[in-house]
Amino acid sequence: MNKHSFQLAWRLFIEDCHNTNQRILQATQVILMMFIVTLSLTSESVQSHLKHNLSNLLGADLVLSNKGALSAADLQQLTENSDDIIFTQSLKTTLTHQEQWQRATIKAVSQDYPLQGELLLSDSIGGEIYVATTSPETGSLWIDTRLAAGLNVKIGDTLTIASSQLTITHILQHEPDRLMEGHNVDMRALIHRDDFNQMGLADDTVTYRYLVNASQEQVNNIINWQESQLPSAQVRHKKGAHPLALFWQRTENLIGLASVILLFMAAIAIYQISNIQIRKEQHFTAVCMSVGATRSEVLFVSVIKWLIHLLFLFPVVMILSNILHFIIVHWLSSALPDLAWALDTQTALFAFAGCSLILAVFQVPVWLALKHATVKQLVLNLPQAPRTIVSLLSALSVLFMVTAVYSDNGLLTTMVLGSMFACVTLIAVISWVSLTVGETLTQKHSGLVPFALFMMKQRLVSKSTQIMGVGLCTFLLLFTLMLMHDLGATMHQYQRQFDGNLLVSQADSQQMDALEEWSASHRGEIRQQKPFVYANVVKVNGQAINDFSSRPSASLATLQQSIRLHWTDKVPANNKLTAGKWWKGKEDNWQQISIEEEVMTDIGLSIGDRLTIVVAQKPIEFTIVASHVYKPGAGSITFWVQMPASAVNFIDAPHYYMASIEINDDSVKHLGKLWQQYPTLRMVSMQEMIARFDATLKLVTQVISGFSILIISLSVIVMIASVLAYEPQERKKNSVIMSFGLPKRTCLSINMIEWAMTGGIASIGAMLGTWLAGVLIYQSQFSLPYEPDFVWLLSTLLLITSAVMVIGVFVSRQTLNSSIRDLLAE
Amino acid sequence: MSSQRNSAIELDNVGQSFESHQQQINLFKDVQFLIEQGQSYAITGPSGSGKSSLLMLASGLEQPTTGQVRHVNQGQYQAISSLRAEIGFIFQQFHLLAELSALNNVALPLKLRGDKHALSTAKQWLEHVGLGHRLDHKPSQLSGGEQQRIAIARALVFKPKFIFADEPTGNLDAKSATGIAELLFKCCSDNGAALVLVTHSQKLAARAQHQLNFEQGNCVWLKNEKRSEGHE
Repeated sequence: MNKHSFQLAWRLFIEDCHNTNQRILQATQVILMMFIVTLSLTSESVQSHLKHNLSNLLGADLVLSNKGALSAADLQQLTENSDDIIFTQSLKTTLTHQEQWQRATIKAVSQDYPLQGELLLSDSIGGEIYVATTSPETGSLWIDTRLAAGLNVKIGDTLTIASSQLTITHILQHEPDRLMEGHNVDMRALIHRDDFNQMGLADDTVTYRYLVNASQEQVNNIINWQESQLPSAQVRHKKGAHPLALFWQRTENLIGLASVILLFMAAIAIYQISNIQIRKEQHFTAVCMSVGATRSEVLFVSVIKWLIHLLFLFPVVMILSNILHFIIVHWLSSALPDLAWALDTQTALFAFAGCSLILAVFQVPVWLALKHATVKQLVLNLPQAPRTIVSLLSALSVLFMVTAVYSDNGLLTTMVLGSMFACVTLIAVISWVSLTVGETLTQKHSGLVPFALFMMKQRLVSKSTQIMGVGLCTFLLLFTLMLMHDLGATMHQYQRQFDGNLLVSQADSQQMDALEEWSASHRGEIRQQKPFVYANVVKVNGQAINDFSSRPSASLATLQQSIRLHWTDKVPANNKLTAGKWWKGKEDNWQQISIEEEVMTDIGLSIGDRLTIVVAQKPIEFTIVASHVYKPGAGSITFWVQMPASAVNFIDAPHYYMASIEINDDSVKHLGKLWQQYPTLRMVSMQEMIARFDATLKLVTQVISGFSILIISLSVIVMIASVLAYEPQERKKNSVIMSFGLPKRTCLSINMIEWAMTGGIASIGAMLGTWLAGVLIYQSQFSLPYEPDFVWLLSTLLLITSAVMVIGVFVSRQTLNSSIRDLLAE
Repeated sequence: MSSQRNSAIELDNVGQSFESHQQQINLFKDVQFLIEQGQSYAITGPSGSGKSSLLMLASGLEQPTTGQVRHVNQGQYQAISSLRAEIGFIFQQFHLLAELSALNNVALPLKLRGDKHALSTAKQWLEHVGLGHRLDHKPSQLSGGEQQRIAIARALVFKPKFIFADEPTGNLDAKSATGIAELLFKCCSDNGAALVLVTHSQKLAARAQHQLNFEQGNCVWLKNEKRSEGHE
């Protein structure tokens, strides 16, 4: 272990740099590290942005929000624990102007608003910004820029909300109490509290936000009091977590889990290359040992050489990751305003260290193989057996490590890994079956195709890994394309068929009557109508729901904030019982519920668990007796939580309805009057739903397209690695074929046939995998029957097979350059 | 067979040289040589004298620096490339495909040509070379001598007019080498194929009807039993 070891390691490194195998290995490593480092940097940027955003946008030290006003006693309690307190009222509604409408949040404030920070205004959308000295006066309306643009209004225009005429007097450029809820920042309008109260809205449809200035101790007191006395309310404070933080954490975890696919493909490439590397390093070790060096000295040199490789990868990975990070931050800034790129050395170094650990585990089989290098090998010219088991174990350890780091949700992890495992198994089985059957059937036949099949069958392991790499890439690409192609069409057709083109998500009895009248007068038809009360879940088996399930999940957030509780005596026609027993009609025991299956899995609930659900400020304990899933074919309005019809006799809470209506396209423009009359009526047209869906799909498509580029790169690397691993054998085969007096084009034809079969088998496997995933995901996530377009799928199959053939022949061109001279020269 | 015997390869004043460290090195020059079907030729000489280069020129794998190599077909001159499908090779390292059984290795040239009787013909050839009991063995399960027998069967199974063998016994012990030599000469003769072999072994070379020796850039006929009429 002296400086000569370092010099030798350096020389070997320089030699490696000129070696194609090493360059391919380095490319694989760079792609992997770049992905993980970029993901970590992006996630860190988003999380720190949200933290900063929380302090800036909260407009108070603490905000307590509640459906309906607090009781006098609760308000007293809150006031006692604060230095200053104000409240705002807000309502989600649809604002209309001529034939334009936009969903927006109306916020009612008084002269004391804002508690902290400033309101910034302008007199036109792009006009000069100035600080507001007052809040909106009665009869006036301040609307934000996006809403003004969406409604196509200007200052001086008048909007009608619940028979009140409000004039737009200012454009709202910024308000401090603008905490983001959900994925998008809501469009908003500010009005005076007196105007709001004159609208005569039901109190339980209005969200009250109490903005409090308080010390840390007071904040703690309020949190303790809210958790014990007012569990249905939500508290946000400057030291707490941003509501979007969990969402982004979940996004990072999902993408992290998807990286398992990248790692799997990298493992295939690394396995192929490490077999070459093992042969080379074992030979080198045996030569060193034959001249008196010890095995540990050679191992030391190998480790140093690996570290030098890592050191040289560092700047490449850092530069590429930061460029990608910059691009992603720029792209995300449309969803997260003010998100800006900044150099984050600490996170980058930490992620690079994690990646180095992964690469070290991948390198372990090479180092372990040195233990088996002997001088005898050189004397007897013994072949080295590939260390498949050790390589498999190291790949599995890496996959396990990554899964453990990114897994936060059992169901999601199972779905991602399960579909990947299913696809891998499917492709492996199809490869084996098609090559075996093909080879058996053509065994007694002559020609190029039987020979190609025979050779592929003989190299089953290598061919399977090649097919696997191509297959996984194809699977992911096909799945993305299929989602984009099918989902939009299916959703549109399905919604129209069963649900009409107008979905009402909240209407009270009076509004329902008005809707019936309106649809009758506009030749519309109400297809479905189901009642519900608003509720939120606060405890599971007596334990606060946050303590019961600490993993971030969309289901948990929704259960905590607001769910629609539906009552029915029979299992709805569009539901199917999956566990437990549904209650009988006229049941005395009304405190029982059925929960949707995915919610049960997501939160970790079981039949027999007790849920404390707050309805109209009153906690009620229910026992889970059944679990249901959505069944397509009888309308799409379904509920996560359902209780016996007799329960409504014991629950004093306002009733609302969800409904679906089919209306003429001509009538759509007349919807505005309904919203003007009933601002709390929530409904969305098919057009708007498709637009929202398209926007989400666009986002998903962009993310997956970026991911697909990485997958394609790795797929090409897998193809190159598998060609390199068998290059000497392929060259010999081609030379031998030419020694039979056959022209070079025979070798090219065989090569093309092999790649066409590789591409074909991989595509068929990927298509079946896609179909399987389509059926599972369409049904579990969207509850839609999957109807693939076979003409489209077959065209894609042909296209992918041709692409694989072209790329395959291109990467194999070195093996086609062989000649009989090579054989004579040996 | 007689019509097939009308093919020949003519090396007309061929010479081969190459450049090394900006120096022109002449391997040989003005070699005049006619390879006729049914005849056997041995090329001998020390290492680096140009034996293998001559073999490559004669088989059309390389172009001569001077002179020309032509295919003589029924008295007509044709490009040597027209003979490509009629030439077979036997190598010192055998070069059997490790994945294939003995039977499939021999059947391979016929299968690639689309011959429906490839397997039965290959079986006959394996029996002919004394390996009828080793049909399903892989090369790794066979001795060097057995592998070379398979290589001979594989080279002749598609009935080429010319066989070029590079040190066919170079990797074998003395006993195996004798057996292989006998087989090689017999098979080529039975098949009416010309045999051109490069060897260091005087014993093997002595079996050939013609022996050309390379010595310090000169090439001398040590033995020339029969020469074709009309050519030299």
